Amino acid sequence: MSTHDLNEDGAVKHRHRQEGPQKHVIAFIFSIILTLIAFAAVAAGGVNTAFTVILLLVMAILQVLVQLGYWMHMKDKGHMIPILFMAGGFFVAGLAIIAALYWMWW
Amino acid sequence: MTTPHAQQVSDTLPHEPEKATLEGRNKVLGFWLFLGGEAVLFGTLFATFLTLRDQVADGPSAAELFSLPITAAATFILLVSSLTSVFAIQAMHRGNRKSLATWLGVTVVLGLAFLLLEIYEFYEYIVHDDYGMTTSAFSSAFYTLVGFHGAHVLFGILWISILIGQLMRKGLTVVTAPKIYVSAMYWHFIDVVWVFIFTVVYLLGKVV
Amino acid sequence: MAHAHSVKRYKGLMDWITTVDHKKIAVLYLLAGGFFFGIGGIEALLIRVQLAKPMNDFVTAQQFNELITMHGTTMIFLGVMPVIFALMNAVIPLQIGARDVAFPFLNSLGFWTFLFGGLLLNLSWVMGGAPDAGWTSYTPLSSSQFSATHGVDFYTIGLQIAGLGTLIGGINFLATIITMRAPGMSFMRMPMFTWTTFVTSAMILFAFPAITVGLVLLTFDRILGANFFNVELGGNPVLWQHIFWIFGHPEVYILILPAFGVISEVVSTFSRKRLFGYSSMVFATILIAFLGFMVWAHHMFTTGMGPIANALFSIATMLIAVPTGIKIFNWLFTMWGGQITFTTANLFASGFIPTFVMGGVTGVMLASAPADYQYHDTYFVVAHFHYVIVGGLVLGLFAGLHYWWPKMFGRVLSERLGKWEFWTFIIGFHMTFFVQHFLGLIGMQRRVFTYLPNQGFDLMNLISTIGAFLMGVGTLIFLANIILSFREKKGVAGDVWEDGRTLEWAIPSPPPEYNFKQIPLVRGIDAFWKEKMAGHQEMTPAEPVGPIHMPSPTILPFLMSVGLFIAGLGFMFTNDDFGNSLLNFMFNKYIVVAIGLGMTFLCMLLRSLYDDHGWHIEEEELKDGGVQA
Repeated sequence: MSTHDLNEDGAVKHRHRQEGPQKHVIAFIFSIILTLIAFAAVAAGGVNTAFTVILLLVMAILQVLVQLGYWMHMKDKGHMIPILFMAGGFFVAGLAIIAALYWMWW
Repeated sequence: MTTPHAQQVSDTLPHEPEKATLEGRNKVLGFWLFLGGEAVLFGTLFATFLTLRDQVADGPSAAELFSLPITAAATFILLVSSLTSVFAIQAMHRGNRKSLATWLGVTVVLGLAFLLLEIYEFYEYIVHDDYGMTTSAFSSAFYTLVGFHGAHVLFGILWISILIGQLMRKGLTVVTAPKIYVSAMYWHFIDVVWVFIFTVVYLLGKVV
Repeated sequence: MAHAHSVKRYKGLMDWITTVDHKKIAVLYLLAGGFFFGIGGIEALLIRVQLAKPMNDFVTAQQFNELITMHGTTMIFLGVMPVIFALMNAVIPLQIGARDVAFPFLNSLGFWTFLFGGLLLNLSWVMGGAPDAGWTSYTPLSSSQFSATHGVDFYTIGLQIAGLGTLIGGINFLATIITMRAPGMSFMRMPMFTWTTFVTSAMILFAFPAITVGLVLLTFDRILGANFFNVELGGNPVLWQHIFWIFGHPEVYILILPAFGVISEVVSTFSRKRLFGYSSMVFATILIAFLGFMVWAHHMFTTGMGPIANALFSIATMLIAVPTGIKIFNWLFTMWGGQITFTTANLFASGFIPTFVMGGVTGVMLASAPADYQYHDTYFVVAHFHYVIVGGLVLGLFAGLHYWWPKMFGRVLSERLGKWEFWTFIIGFHMTFFVQHFLGLIGMQRRVFTYLPNQGFDLMNLISTIGAFLMGVGTLIFLANIILSFREKKGVAGDVWEDGRTLEWAIPSPPPEYNFKQIPLVRGIDAFWKEKMAGHQEMTPAEPVGPIHMPSPTILPFLMSVGLFIAGLGFMFTNDDFGNSLLNFMFNKYIVVAIGLGMTFLCMLLRSLYDDHGWHIEEEELKDGGVQA
C-alpha cells in the first residue's frame, strides 16, 4: 500500500550510518551529572530556596531533553509529527499544572 | 503494494527494521501519539500532587517522610536502564539478536530492582510509619502519582520480558522489531516521568 | 508474497463480534449510539413531563436527579460520541482513499470498550440506583458522604471504560489520517470532514487522559478512602472542577467540530460549489481546537478564582467567536451563488447555521464573567448548551446520516419523510429551548425538580414540554424512515447525489470490503469532482490491480472489553457486605477484579504472541469495484 507520509524516513533509504555507543555514553554521563547536581543541591541545603527550586527544575528539563532528543531520537529527521504531539501533550499538562499552582487555593 | 508485508521475513533485515513495513511505521507513530496522551495523564497527576502537596493533615510532611538515599539509588538504576535500552536498540539496528536480547534482559533486571526499591519504600511508609492512602490529601496524591508510575514500570517489565521470549522464538524480524522499538520508547518515557517525580516530589519536597 | 492464508470467515452474530472492517464497526457504532440516544431521549421526555406543570409529582426528587444526571451523561458520552465515530468510521478511510484504518484491531477494541463502559453505566438503573450528582459530578456532592449509593461508582468506572474506548478511537484516526492517505492527497487537499476528524481526534488524545485521572481520583476517594476531595483531611473540591473542565471544555469542541465538517461537505455538495475559503476553514478549525483548551475555567467564574483569572478566561472565550464566525460566513458564501438543492441533508445543514449562531451568541453572553454571575446555574445555561449541542451537533449528525446513508447501506432514505423529520424536529427544538432562555433570565434554576406556580414559569415550561415531544416525533419519523428504507432493494449508484465531490463517491454504494480495487491518484481538492470536471468517469488509479491484503477477524477485542467490564463491576462492590461468605470473599478480596483484569491481559498477551498474518483477496475475486464508478 503506498502512502504519502510526512515522517517517511529511513524506510527506503538509510540516510545516517549506525551511531556508535560513545554518543549515548556521553549523554548518559551528562544525565548523571545533572542528577548529581540536583541531589547535591538539596543535600547541601542552606542555599537560597528560590535558587534551589529553579536549579532543580532546570536540571530536570535538561535531562528530559536528553532523553527525548537523543534516546528517543526526537532530534532526528522525520519526527515532526511526534514532536508536534508530544509538545501538545506537554502543553495541556502545563495548563493543568498552572491551574494547580495559581487557581486552586485562594 | 510498494512496501513488503509484515509476514515477510527476509534474511537481510533492513537497517531500521522497525520502520520497514507500513504496519511497523504505523505502530511507532501510534505509540508516539499514545505517549502524547500519557504526558497529559501524568501532567494531571502532577497537578493534583502540586495542589495537595502541603495538605498533610496530621501526617508527616514530605521533608520528614522521604529519604534521599533510596530515591538517589532508584534514580540511578532507572537512568542506567534507559542507557541499556538504548544499547538494545543499537544492537537491533546492527541485526545482532543475541546482544539485543541481553541488553533487554539487563533492562528488565534493572526495572525489577527499581520496582523492588519502590515496594520497599511503600512498605516502610505503610507498615512502619502507619502512613497510608487514607492518612491525608498529600498521602493520597503521593501514592497515586508514584503508584501510577510504578504500575507503568511493572507493565514495562512484563511487556519487555514477553518480547524477549518472542525474540528468542521468532527471531528478529520486521514483525518483532517494531514491538521492541516501541517498548524501548515506552521505557524512556517512564524515565522521563521519573525525572519529574524525583525532582518535584522528592527533591522539592525536601526544599520547600 | 501473495500466497493466500486460510482465514476463518464468520457469519451472523459472530461476524459482527469479530469484525475489524471499519464499515461494519461504523454500523456497530451507529446501532449502539442509536440505542443510547434512545435511552437519553426517553430520560429527557421524563424530565420534561415532570416539569410540565408546577408542583408536579410524576417523579420524586431523587429520581429526577438520577434522570438529569443520566440524560446528560448518556447523551454526551454514549449517544452523540458513537454516532460521530460511526460517521468517521464509515467515511474517513473512503475520503482519504485508503483500504482500511491504521489499526483495525484497535478500532474494534475502541468500539467494544466504549459499548461495555456504556452498558456498565446504564446497569446502574437496575443495580441500586443511577448516578445522581449531575453529569459534572461535582464534589463534595458526588463523595460517598453525600452520594451513598453505588450510582456515582457506576459513573466513574463506566465512564472510565467508555473513555478508554474513545481515546483508542482517537489515536486510530490520527494515525490513519497521517499515514494512510492516497498518493497526491496532501494535508491541504483533505476534505473538510477529514480535517475536522483529525483535529477532533487530537483533542480527544489530549483531553481524555485528564478525565481519566479525574475519575481515578474520585474512584479512589469513594472506594479506597483517599482524600483528594475531602476537605477534612486537606482535600480540595475545586481540584475536581478544574480537572473535569480541562477535559470537559475541549469535549464540547470534540462534539461540535465533526459537525462542522459534515456541514462543510453537505453545503458544498448541494450548492454544487467548492467550499468557500477552504484554507481559512482549516485554520479556523485548528484555532478553535487550540482555544478550546484555554477556556475551561469559564465554567467556574462563580467559584471565586478572582478578577484576573476571570478576565483572562472571559477574553479567551470571546476570542473563540472569531474562528467560529469565519466558519459561519464561509458556509454562507459557499451557498451564495450556488445551485442549491434542498435535500433533507441540506435542510438540516441550512437549519444548523442560524440555530448554531443563536447558541454561539448566548455563548458570548455567558463568556462575560460579571453577567455570568446572573446566568450561572439557570435555565439560560441549559438553553445555551442545548442550542449548540442539539441545534449544532445533532442537526449536523442528521445531515451527515442522510448524506452518507446511501454510501453506508446502499439505500436512500425517503426525502418525503425526511422533510417531515426536519420540520418536526427543528420546530420542536426551538419550542423546547428558546423559551428556556427567558425562563433562566426570570430566575428559574437548572436541576430543580419542580417549581411553585405563578412565578411566570408555568406557560413557558408547558411550551417547552410540548416542544420536547415534537422532537421525539421527529426522531420517530427518522426511525420509521430507516426501517422503510431497508425494505427497498440494496444498491444505488456510487455517486448517488450526482454532485459528489470527494473520493467516497467514486466507489460503489455500499463499498466492497476492500474499498478501492486500485488506490486512486489524487490531483487536487475535491478529487472526484476534479476528475468529473476534466471529463473522466472515474479516478486515475495509482497502482496496478493486484491481490489485496486484509486483516483477520478476531474476538479478542470483545473479550478484552468483557474483562474490563467484569473488573469494573468487581472493583465497585469491594466494600459491600453481601451477607454471603463466598460473594464477600470474591468481591472484598479483589478476586473478581483479578479475574476481569486477568482476562483482559491474557487477551493482550495472545494478541502479542500470535501474529496476525491477515489474508488476501486475489485478483480474480475482485468485483468490479475499485476506483471504477
